[in-house]
Amino acid sequence: MKSKWLVIVILTGFFSCEDVIEVELNKAEPRLVIEASIDWLKNTSGNEQEIKLTLSAPFFDNEVPPANGATVSITNSMNTVFNFIEDANSGIYKNAEFIPVINESYNLNIVYKDEVYTATETLKSVVPIDFIEQSNEGGFSGDQIEIKAFYTDPADEENYYLFEFLSDFTPIPSLEVYEDRFTNGNQIFGFYSDEDLEAGNIVTIRNHGASESFYAFMFLLLQQGSQDSGGPFETQPASVRGNCINETISDNFPFGYFRLSEVAEVIYTVE
Amino acid sequence: MKKNVYGFLVLFLALSSIITAQEKFTLSGTITDSESNETLISVNILVPDSQTGTVTNEYGFYSLTLPAGTYAIQVSYLGYKTISETIVFNDDVTKNYKLTESAENLDEVVIEENVERLNIKKPQMSVNSLSIKTIKNMPVVLGEVDIIKSITLLPGVTNGGEGSSGFNVRGGSADQNLILLDEAIIFNSSHLFGFFSVFNPDAIKDIKLYKGGIPAKYGGRVSSVLDIYQKEGNSNEFHMNGGIGLVSSRLLAEGPIKKGKGSFLFAGRSSYAHLFLPLFDLDNTAYFYDLNTKLSYRFNNKNSIYLSGYFGRDVFEVSDSFENTYGNTVLNFRWNHLFSDKLFSNLSLIYSDYDYDLKLAFVGFDWESGIRNFNLKYDLKHYISNNFKLEYGLNSIYYKFNPGEISPIDESSGINQFKLTDKYAFENAIYVDAEHKINNKLSISYGARFSTFHRLGQDELNIYENGNAVSFNEALQIYEKAEPIGTESFERSDVIASFANIEPRLAIAYQLNDISSIKASYNRMSQYLHLLSNTSSPTPLDVWAPSGKYIEPQLLDQVAVGYFRTFKDNVFSLEVESFYKTIQNRIDYIDGANLIANDAIEQIVLNGQARAYGLEILLRKNEGRFKGWLAYTISKSEQQTPGRTPEEPGINNGEWYRTPWDKTHDISFTGSYELNRKWSVSSNFLFQTGIPATFPNGQYEYNGLTVPSYEARNSSRLSSYNRLDVAFNFNPNPDSEKRFKGNWVFSVYNLYNRRNAASISFRENSSTGANEATRLSIFGIVPSVSYNFKF
Repeated sequence: MKSKWLVIVILTGFFSCEDVIEVELNKAEPRLVIEASIDWLKNTSGNEQEIKLTLSAPFFDNEVPPANGATVSITNSMNTVFNFIEDANSGIYKNAEFIPVINESYNLNIVYKDEVYTATETLKSVVPIDFIEQSNEGGFSGDQIEIKAFYTDPADEENYYLFEFLSDFTPIPSLEVYEDRFTNGNQIFGFYSDEDLEAGNIVTIRNHGASESFYAFMFLLLQQGSQDSGGPFETQPASVRGNCINETISDNFPFGYFRLSEVAEVIYTVE
Repeated sequence: MKKNVYGFLVLFLALSSIITAQEKFTLSGTITDSESNETLISVNILVPDSQTGTVTNEYGFYSLTLPAGTYAIQVSYLGYKTISETIVFNDDVTKNYKLTESAENLDEVVIEENVERLNIKKPQMSVNSLSIKTIKNMPVVLGEVDIIKSITLLPGVTNGGEGSSGFNVRGGSADQNLILLDEAIIFNSSHLFGFFSVFNPDAIKDIKLYKGGIPAKYGGRVSSVLDIYQKEGNSNEFHMNGGIGLVSSRLLAEGPIKKGKGSFLFAGRSSYAHLFLPLFDLDNTAYFYDLNTKLSYRFNNKNSIYLSGYFGRDVFEVSDSFENTYGNTVLNFRWNHLFSDKLFSNLSLIYSDYDYDLKLAFVGFDWESGIRNFNLKYDLKHYISNNFKLEYGLNSIYYKFNPGEISPIDESSGINQFKLTDKYAFENAIYVDAEHKINNKLSISYGARFSTFHRLGQDELNIYENGNAVSFNEALQIYEKAEPIGTESFERSDVIASFANIEPRLAIAYQLNDISSIKASYNRMSQYLHLLSNTSSPTPLDVWAPSGKYIEPQLLDQVAVGYFRTFKDNVFSLEVESFYKTIQNRIDYIDGANLIANDAIEQIVLNGQARAYGLEILLRKNEGRFKGWLAYTISKSEQQTPGRTPEEPGINNGEWYRTPWDKTHDISFTGSYELNRKWSVSSNFLFQTGIPATFPNGQYEYNGLTVPSYEARNSSRLSSYNRLDVAFNFNPNPDSEKRFKGNWVFSVYNLYNRRNAASISFRENSSTGANEATRLSIFGIVPSVSYNFKF
């Protein structure tokens, strides 16, 4: 859809204009936001993990508040409990003895303000990144730096990936999710291009193994971020439900997701 | 099917025999323009003494039956000299009238469009006709005359705004409009994502938009019918005309194949703004072109044939990485045959297709999709008596759908070949429609269309547990794709699913006095095709899907009532109509539905319903130096997708929500004024409630991203849309006897440069990190000039 807007903008480049305007928005009650992303970097023990709890806020607020004082734990299929303890009043809950196992199923349990939140997910494996290719005549406009991180999709299974490209010039990562429906068994790439990218920038490239339901969740979530309201190519905005359930009051559902991934990482310096 | 045809034959034979029992004779023929020999639609043939008359049909044919005697006949068409003559009805007579334009003998040039006149006597309501002259007079953005944009100035017709394609009639969606070009179905009416429409105005003769009370002759779409007729071409002498505008240029050539009998017409149009892009060092291109052709041949009074074609394409290229081509192709053969002076028939054989192709070089990916159809239509109009006319016919359409094929661009591409299953369907209909004048005050038209739809065999079709392709995850309260429990295969000749619908149509007109009448109508219609689109207005990428095992056909019921009157001897007319309609089986999509390259659409759609109601007022001035209209519509258009069981929330918790094209108030004015013989000025003014939008009601952080969370669907609105356009027409030599004639059009679109929001985006400012709302407005003030000529 982005590409269509690009064409429209090119087409009407001489006429159309964008400006920042004031809009009065409704304010919803805050919800718990669960960022329980267990990343097991290849060739590490994966023992040290953290879970971030925050609250949603009105849209024009400058920051979102942390969710303090929760009880957080993950249980594996052998009923081993990993307790996550809040680091001061940061809303970040930590555990240093976590045991990651590929294809193991884990349960997340959170008690926050007397409400119980749960989720279940499997730790997904990922293939390594084979190599990085850089082109200086890339992107839509043909003059941007683009980076392709190649990997080889396993032919014998359905795979889903979360790619993260984090450059040192911005705190906002570039995220992409991929499925292997059209690329099964092939060597294919994660794609990154940004007009501000230049030689000398350091880009951390991470590929995460993901489940099909995470793929569906993230696909939708990424659409919300660049949402246009009322535009001709708008897909209907939606409240994106993750895999976490409020067991106490089901209508007060949380945002976020409980994901466990093996992670392949390459740190690349732009040439 | 055969049985029904025989039924019709028996019916009309019975009726004919009743009529011939009395001593009556028929006057019939074709009415054409004396200069070009082009047939004229909606010419009045009046018999003042007996207070009766008729009008010519889409092919210029008329038939009038009167008891034996001597009558004064008037053939009149405004802008043309009226022919009056006395005819003795003692035998059946064929008379082909040739009308001459009357413009030059008037001091003030007043060209008026007869086709647009309000007919208060006929039961047909909710119809708007526009002549191409009126359309060409309206100010338009960048000077590009646009049929679709001009009809959005009519009451009850809107569209999603600038840069959005299609149009919405009485709260219906854009895919519910049947768009016919010379009887062929057009699947995509837009160029450049909706900035321009695919119809070259020079090649068009007339358009007619049915919003309600739709005759049984039409079917297959539930909201409206836009019936567009192309010119046949001048069969007397060779002429060319054209225009040069800022965006595109047009050229049309027409002339005789055999003088007075056969004609040809070729018209081409192409945009060329892209030729200037390299000057700005832009390595991109975007252009469109279309070609219209028509060959006509009149063998004798009883037989004429027409061969017409349309081919149009849009092309976008962004550096070498993105290439997008799409467009329609239409080929059409028609045969007009008169079985008798009372029975007119038209046989159409039509092929049309729509193709979409997208190449993304940087991911090594080529995508193709399309729809193809073969259409046979046989329509008969039987002028049984002046008080009773019967139309009947049949229609068969065979469809092939290519929902998409992905292929690698070259060897190095990491993309695997992937083909979505082709789908096939067969749609049939028979209809009969009577127009019955009960007495001088009351006229009724009644009829029905019987339509069937067969989804034919395809390679693979999923089977689901309990037939439910969408499952509901109760814990997460979300809809998910159901896992198929197997697949089944079919032969091409197998029928997977069949539907049949009887669609009654009824319209009543009661004349209160010479100048006013009230009318009422009811129509039921069915639509077997669905445009899969999750956006507010269609995009060229959207694919059509047939009804089948998991998707039911859309069914519409509409009632409309209206009051119609003319003032000051037809100088003004007023039309007030109110409508209410409901549509069953309107699909909507589950959250997160991905429509692109989806081979199992049934897994992401939920069945719902839609309704719309409103009031339309149209005040029109038909003649004089000032002509134009003021239209006001107040309406509501909503949709509901309830849960399938009490435990399920459906979409929007099962509550009614606004459709993306719901506009409460819609005011439009358009008018033109003759300043003097050389100059005329025309203007549009529009005011519309802003389109519905879904705004965020909160934000949260996830994985380093700021994510907006949204309120209930379409519960806010963009700010209102309004603009004023002005155009000046300059005719340098109105008295010139020369063959070559030219005129200039200077126009200003959006005169007061209002920034109408096309969309509002909510996002994180990449440098400050703060959230902000940005408005995208497409056209500010746009001046333009174009030059038109003919010789």
